[in-house]
Amino acid sequence: MASVNAQIKRGSAELAVLKLLNEHPLHGYEIAKRIEALTGGVLWFDMASLYPMLHRLERKSWVKAEWQTLPNGRRRRCYRLTASGRKQIGPLCAQWRAFFQALESVTGFQNA
Amino acid sequence: MPDWKQIVRKHLRVVAFCSPEVIEELATHLEDSYEALLGEGLPAELALQRAMGQSEGCGRVWLVMRLLQEEFMSGVMGEVALPGLCTSAAAGILYWALALTHAQPGVIWLVGGQLPLWWWCLLPVCGALGALLSRRKGGSRAQRIAASLLPSAIMGIVVLLFFAAGYTLSGLVNHYGPVFEHLESMGIGPPGFVVIPAVFSLLGTGIAEVSTGESGRLA
Repeated sequence: MASVNAQIKRGSAELAVLKLLNEHPLHGYEIAKRIEALTGGVLWFDMASLYPMLHRLERKSWVKAEWQTLPNGRRRRCYRLTASGRKQIGPLCAQWRAFFQALESVTGFQNA
Repeated sequence: MPDWKQIVRKHLRVVAFCSPEVIEELATHLEDSYEALLGEGLPAELALQRAMGQSEGCGRVWLVMRLLQEEFMSGVMGEVALPGLCTSAAAGILYWALALTHAQPGVIWLVGGQLPLWWWCLLPVCGALGALLSRRKGGSRAQRIAASLLPSAIMGIVVLLFFAAGYTLSGLVNHYGPVFEHLESMGIGPPGFVVIPAVFSLLGTGIAEVSTGESGRLA
């Protein structure tokens, strides 16, 4: 399986998390597991990459974190997308689309 | 069941400087990992080892570095340093604008130097600016106050350097007097450019806090 360069992963991670949270609120572990499952393990997060990024998104007010108590009494910090975060998805998607189109025009990787 | 918070505190001592929420969040992540591994059929000991592996070795180093970067550096840069530098720039521009326009009374004479009265009166605006910029970046109350006080802190360092240079020169040169007197005549002294501006800046911070309804909230 192709591994993803750390810089590309870091740049794309914010969009992946925002898209995921656009569906419904999730806590950190769920976010990591879902992204890993959805990308077939190409994108995966450890604690060192996940939580600093989530805190950065929270600082930008793109996501809001709230502690929730589960039926079994455990507490989990759930992240949900804010209106400001929702507004970022479109421009971020456009940026990545433009990036891939530009890359494709140079490398022709789709035809490779 | 392992005490995950205790494990996080033990393995990642630096996160003790982060908020308790960070510790609890990391602990819940390890707990979830552990339970998922148990669910996959791993023996408890191996599951514990694997889960804890995320907070050991290179993972631990990266986690600590990234957390410190996010929790402190980003916060300090975005919530204190940049608003504080904007406040300093605004205070500096105001000072020179008043000096160039010869606003009267431009100065009052005190402690052997000229002290800029009008400048002081406008400093609450700068203090409020620093607090508001910091607030926009999500700064806590302490960070908002720090941002508005940064110009005074910078001047405090400059004054200290001047005094240190003065005392050094006094030991090296017999006729250091004119240098020191010149500094006094410029009004560079702790009261005029550090303490009183800090008070006026704090006044502006207080006004900004009240006007934005932040005065009753905890930092």
